[in-house]
Amino acid sequence: MEYIQISIDGILYGSSYSLIALGFSLVFGVMRRINLAYGSSLLLGVAIALWVENKLNISIIFFIPIVLFFCSLSNLYVERFCFAPHNTKAGVVVSMISSFAIWMQLDEISAQLLPDRTHSFPSLEISTFEFGGIFFRGDQILNIFVAFIISAILFLVVYKTRYGIVLRAVSNSADTAKLMGCNTNLVNSLTFIVAGVLGGIAAFLVLSTESQVTPLFGFWCTVKGLVAMMIGGLGSLTGAFWGGLLLGLLEAHFSYQFGPVFREITTFSILLIVLIIRPGGLMGVNIYKDLKSRDERI
Amino acid sequence: MAEKKILEVEGLETSYDMIKALKGVSLSALSGKLTCILGPNGAGKSTLLFTLAGILNSDRGKVIFDGEDITNQKTSDLVEKGLALVPENRLIFPHLTVKENLLAGAYSRLAKEREKVEQDISAMYARFPVLKERSSQLGGTMSGGEQQMLSVARALMSKPKLLLMDEPSVGLAPMIVNEIFAIIKQLNAEGISIVLVEQNASKALEIGDYFYLLDQGKQIFGGSREAILKENIIKKAYLGESAG
Repeated sequence: MEYIQISIDGILYGSSYSLIALGFSLVFGVMRRINLAYGSSLLLGVAIALWVENKLNISIIFFIPIVLFFCSLSNLYVERFCFAPHNTKAGVVVSMISSFAIWMQLDEISAQLLPDRTHSFPSLEISTFEFGGIFFRGDQILNIFVAFIISAILFLVVYKTRYGIVLRAVSNSADTAKLMGCNTNLVNSLTFIVAGVLGGIAAFLVLSTESQVTPLFGFWCTVKGLVAMMIGGLGSLTGAFWGGLLLGLLEAHFSYQFGPVFREITTFSILLIVLIIRPGGLMGVNIYKDLKSRDERI
Repeated sequence: MAEKKILEVEGLETSYDMIKALKGVSLSALSGKLTCILGPNGAGKSTLLFTLAGILNSDRGKVIFDGEDITNQKTSDLVEKGLALVPENRLIFPHLTVKENLLAGAYSRLAKEREKVEQDISAMYARFPVLKERSSQLGGTMSGGEQQMLSVARALMSKPKLLLMDEPSVGLAPMIVNEIFAIIKQLNAEGISIVLVEQNASKALEIGDYFYLLDQGKQIFGGSREAILKENIIKKAYLGESAG
């Protein structure tokens, strides 16, 4: 019974990793770039939203769209400054480094907006319930439910609509997509906006579960999302989803067995093992093969 | 009757950073005709097509397409105006299905005329039956010849007035090359203007109407098939002395 309870807690917790990993995966899938500032953009979005909330004293119903809006906006800001100017082959490393630089900038702005170490965050206040001797946290049930829905919608959009075809065409080869008359700049910006919305939802759900936000939230998002994506599979949406759940599950079990200190150790050990055994992630395309096929570009 | 020029290029110069790849190329293509651009490796043939298609910007010179100055316009605008490029090495989208590749080719029309696009896909299937058989297969899993057909079909999906083709025979078996050239000839016979860049000069000579010879970024010859066959220049510059 204990094991079931821990597994369920872990999976529920992991669903927030999944949402963040989906955002990472979307950006990586389309642009083949890793955005290290993703977590910080989300923190900044949250910080601005909280600041607005303090000034205007708004209810939680209006607070959610404000979070999403500012998360997308700060994500778009990162895209315009770190990724749009370096969209050539040579720009892969440059854009990653500049996303690291902008990470510091965003964290600093967030720290100015939220000067205390911890800030209270509006909570949804859904009560915990019991089912067959196992306890479920209501807000975490909502979390996994939303993660499922969002993943399903994202999957449908990417694989069933014409926007998805364009998205995947750009992902296959941006230069060839340009030949078809596709505005790759616009596609990239839209991708960052959607990733911002996804991350904003994740950030809201996680923070309202914790009912507080600390300046370390950005770093936490980046690390957990990145690791979940790497475990699941680079650029694979389904991989990111399952990677997040798996990470949550393993973290819960290891920290229960060996103590809470082992939570982070577990995270990075799993990442290391996956990177050694299967560098493209458990469900991802073989990254080396993929990179080779991408060399066949204009 | 004076024939209409669909494309006019005047003194085009394009460079990659410090290296000048095109050093003043002038040529023109007649509407409904098949114009071939020949020349050895590094002559600037692909650079010329990239400049025409708006992927590269020229430093100097003018490009007039269908009576309109299109020098250094964006690729997306050029596609809408009716210019399509079939790139070298085909460059189909390997992780998209055949049908999705065709849909991507119709990118500029997807929003406005979805039903028309579906009809055109059926027309492509009728023209290239192999694409219909493989419509739900991933593009990357097809053979070179099939990918070339897909690449041509994808370019046709944007309803071009002028089709630019970059070395469609490259890396294909001789029998497949014959098939591809038959397709090109057929397309031209249906009234699509084509500018064909080709290394395989003997094949190009079979189907082309007008020929230009590029060497080291300069145009060294331009004229009809009779003229190019009469001149020994093609053998010297392109096939090599021994070929004669």
